Amino acid sequence: MTPLKTVGHATHRIDALQRVTGAAKYTSDLHLPGMLYARVLRSPHPHARIRKIDVSKAMALPGVKAILTHENCDTAWSSGDQLNQRKLFNNPVRFAGDPVAAIAAIDRHVAEDATHLIEVDYEILPFLTDLEDALKPGAVAIHEGGNLSLNNQRQPVPQTYKRGNVADGLKAADRVFEDNFTSAHHNNAQLEMRVSVAEWSGDKLTVHAATQGIANCRTDIAKDLKISADNVRVISEYMGGGFGNKNQCQDSDLMAALLAKQAGAPVKLEFTRKEDFVAVHGRWSSRQSYKVGVKNDGTLTAIQFTALSGAGAYRKGSCDLSGTEIYQVPHLETSVSPVYTNTAVAANYRAPAYPQAVFGIESLMDDVAYALKMDPMEFRLKNMTRKFRDQTPYTSIGLEDCIRKGAEKFGWKQRWKPVAGSGEGPVKRGAGMAMGMFGSGLGRSSAVVRLDGQGQYHLHVGVTDVGTAAKTTMGLIAAEELGVPLEKVTVVWGDTDTCPYSVGESGSRTTVQTGMAVIEAVRDLKKQIAEKGAPKGNDVLTAMATTNPPPLQGVSRNSFAAHFAEVEVNVETGHAIVTRFVSAHDSGRVVNPLTAQSQVQGGAIQGIGMALHEELLYDKRSGQPLNAGYYGARIMTHLDAPLVDVVWVETDEPYGPFGAKTLGEPTIIPTVAAVANAIHNAIGRRVKSLPITRDKILGVLA
Amino acid sequence: MRSFANVNPKDLKEATSVLRQKGQAATIVGGGSDALGMVKERLISPDVLVSLKSIRGLDKVTEKGGEVVIGGLITLDALSRDPLIRKNYNVLAEAAGKVGTPQIRNAGTLAGNVCQRPWCWYYRNGFPCFKNGGNTCFSITGENEFHAIFGGGPSFIVHPSDTAPALVALDAKVRIVGPSGERTITAADFFKLPADNPARENVLANDEVLAEIHLPAAKSGARGTYHKEMDREAWTHAVVSVAVVMEMDGQVCRAARVVLGGVAPIPWRLPKVEAMLAGKRITPELAAQAGAAAVEGARPLAKNQYKVPLTQAVVKQTLMALGG
Repeated sequence: MTPLKTVGHATHRIDALQRVTGAAKYTSDLHLPGMLYARVLRSPHPHARIRKIDVSKAMALPGVKAILTHENCDTAWSSGDQLNQRKLFNNPVRFAGDPVAAIAAIDRHVAEDATHLIEVDYEILPFLTDLEDALKPGAVAIHEGGNLSLNNQRQPVPQTYKRGNVADGLKAADRVFEDNFTSAHHNNAQLEMRVSVAEWSGDKLTVHAATQGIANCRTDIAKDLKISADNVRVISEYMGGGFGNKNQCQDSDLMAALLAKQAGAPVKLEFTRKEDFVAVHGRWSSRQSYKVGVKNDGTLTAIQFTALSGAGAYRKGSCDLSGTEIYQVPHLETSVSPVYTNTAVAANYRAPAYPQAVFGIESLMDDVAYALKMDPMEFRLKNMTRKFRDQTPYTSIGLEDCIRKGAEKFGWKQRWKPVAGSGEGPVKRGAGMAMGMFGSGLGRSSAVVRLDGQGQYHLHVGVTDVGTAAKTTMGLIAAEELGVPLEKVTVVWGDTDTCPYSVGESGSRTTVQTGMAVIEAVRDLKKQIAEKGAPKGNDVLTAMATTNPPPLQGVSRNSFAAHFAEVEVNVETGHAIVTRFVSAHDSGRVVNPLTAQSQVQGGAIQGIGMALHEELLYDKRSGQPLNAGYYGARIMTHLDAPLVDVVWVETDEPYGPFGAKTLGEPTIIPTVAAVANAIHNAIGRRVKSLPITRDKILGVLA
Repeated sequence: MRSFANVNPKDLKEATSVLRQKGQAATIVGGGSDALGMVKERLISPDVLVSLKSIRGLDKVTEKGGEVVIGGLITLDALSRDPLIRKNYNVLAEAAGKVGTPQIRNAGTLAGNVCQRPWCWYYRNGFPCFKNGGNTCFSITGENEFHAIFGGGPSFIVHPSDTAPALVALDAKVRIVGPSGERTITAADFFKLPADNPARENVLANDEVLAEIHLPAAKSGARGTYHKEMDREAWTHAVVSVAVVMEMDGQVCRAARVVLGGVAPIPWRLPKVEAMLAGKRITPELAAQAGAAAVEGARPLAKNQYKVPLTQAVVKQTLMALGG
């Protein structure tokens, strides 16, 4: 790969100083003149019909300026559910935390006091917290049509994929392995809670939103409020993370806008940490069953995968489960059924369908390798994907190098124990690995670049930077293509009035899609300069580009990763900690090694938390969440996090900006399975449900 | 949160008189690291917060006639760093140093930690349980993985304090000041099982303040340690903990006090284990026997059976680490 001048060199974020000095203003820092503060009243019941709601006492509280309930607001929140019509205020309410009313008042405390003055008469309905229970005959239907949610083609059957014939594949096998795995609903838990500030000026609405994509946010707001997108401006100058739960527009954006309209004043609505856990969304849980056929030499012959995924009370995400694609196997059948329950909603969380499914398949494949007396690394090298779905060549694939170079950095040969559970104890060490992949498609995005008479370039991109350093990445790509230092490029971001469409920082698409638009715009600008000469004085040259490439035909573009974990487990106390971690990634060319490394480390640490700690736990008898928030969820602390070494496998990739592929989401995909496999290697027993907590470790050892 | 008034009393007399006058409407605040959170969550809705921080001199460690007196308002951080405590009462320094996070230890006080309300998730989520004025314990048939294996019934909370087991292990006394006088009782007598009163964890009346802790003069050869098993490396309460103090005579343990945290509604002393250790060398065999004896009589609930082998291991490993 040819080295470049700017891209590929470790560069500090262009807004680093603002962020660390507090100069950066986040949405929750905004205090507009005359601004009101809002709070949401939420259902205390997991499933209930509202017979009557009386807001008169709340409205009479001095300082209360506006109240919304399902009686005076039937606005839909269309990005809150892909299949059903979900409103801002639903009746019936379908989970403990479903919004019942929103109140704007002169301060947050008055608004909160007012929530306690709203009188709601609920008809309590039967509720469900368990996926299997929800599918039993006679179970209360949470949505019309029952609790098995529709597939991606909107049919009431599971989402399926098939190649070959599993029965034939199992017949051809020397050995067949079957097992079940489960994973828990857990939360994105980003630092910044959901927050929106809305202000109207006549027909014009400005929403300051903590969003992962200003353009989509604006379109969604316009659609749901039934106003023209021209009348909506979305600003998100600095945002504090989302990991997928700030895509599109938020219910808080719509509530703030409607309260502001009713009150005739700007309104800020910021959720509490507990609301952010219970009433936003987390990763869907899963119940996974596998049947795997294998030859004695370790060649896979068949995989059958059937699963339930936990949508929660609404169908906000795909609820898919993807892990089997990392293996080359002639006969494969997968079937995933999303199921409703009266619990917190599940939707996008960093590689939404992957780490929990990879935990399942990679745990089982580890067991297969041990049973065949094969090194799990050799087993993976033998069976890893070579073509997408065994048919379509990859544009580039560095998976084998990820495994080999990651193993070398990690010291796999020295650290992995051929006999799982061997060693003196009580503290036993073990090593585990797993692999993963993620789509890195091309797609539509736009960029504008200007050159002023003073020789400064201005790059307008509709990114907000969810923590990925997208502002800096876009600047680096522009500077590289322009052949100028980064300082010569001023990046303008985060405002729909000044920035063109950008794809939205979800699906790990920004570097690739908006990055390509930046390159196209710069090329156009360079052409103009060549034709017209550089602008002088007050002149400006402007170029814009929208890339909208057709889907790739006959090739598949994917990123790949292999992760390696070492753990220490005290077999008497069940205490487990990750002591060493290596993440090896093929994401094509790395645009900014500094921030890319941070992303990989963050993904690994998040994944370790998912492996060992996190679950939004419900009381089965009341349908109430018990451990919402940073304390209860046992999110990783600095002391829990190992050093994460990052290995780059920079494949020569023909597509994307300078050959860059997707990175953000793959960073968490193999982590959970690597940790689970390391624990198995340490103690010689396998925990088959996430999170792998102390009680489960002591349980399998008992 | 609901609005409230804040009172800054100049001394304990004024504090307790406000507490008496306001009754249930008043809440004592030390560092506020927990109480303010409870106000925000509306677990308590006091009209008046009586902030003890305005009282001077109650945050010191002083030697008085052989005893060591610790003001209840000393921060957990200061306690964990105090040279005298570290030298002669290490078990307490270690316990204080294991509480919460640096932020919590900088704000939270010793008395506040000892009097901290339970962290049972049913209580903290406002379920109408014994601790919230109701008449049931939801953990019995609910999510009870962190609940009591000893001393439970009718409530099955575990005492959340790290310093409390250390104080019982040190045979500390607590000085309690009320509006009409004061009393000094042993730390062991300070804590009360739910069988006595399921709504409370200790003997403090509403208008009483835990003012001071008195530690007996350090015995010769005394050493101590606090071991805390957590579900992450910081900022959780103990899943199981143990405070151990041993008086060593060379290799022989003359006397020992062993107190568990995280397993019972009060700091749970293990007299049988203590008797087993007295006059013996701490060998791996003896430590293993002590571990087994530690869990005699445990009555786990459906989801906390793992606490039995865990407690056994923690006692064994900690005894070996300290005396082996």
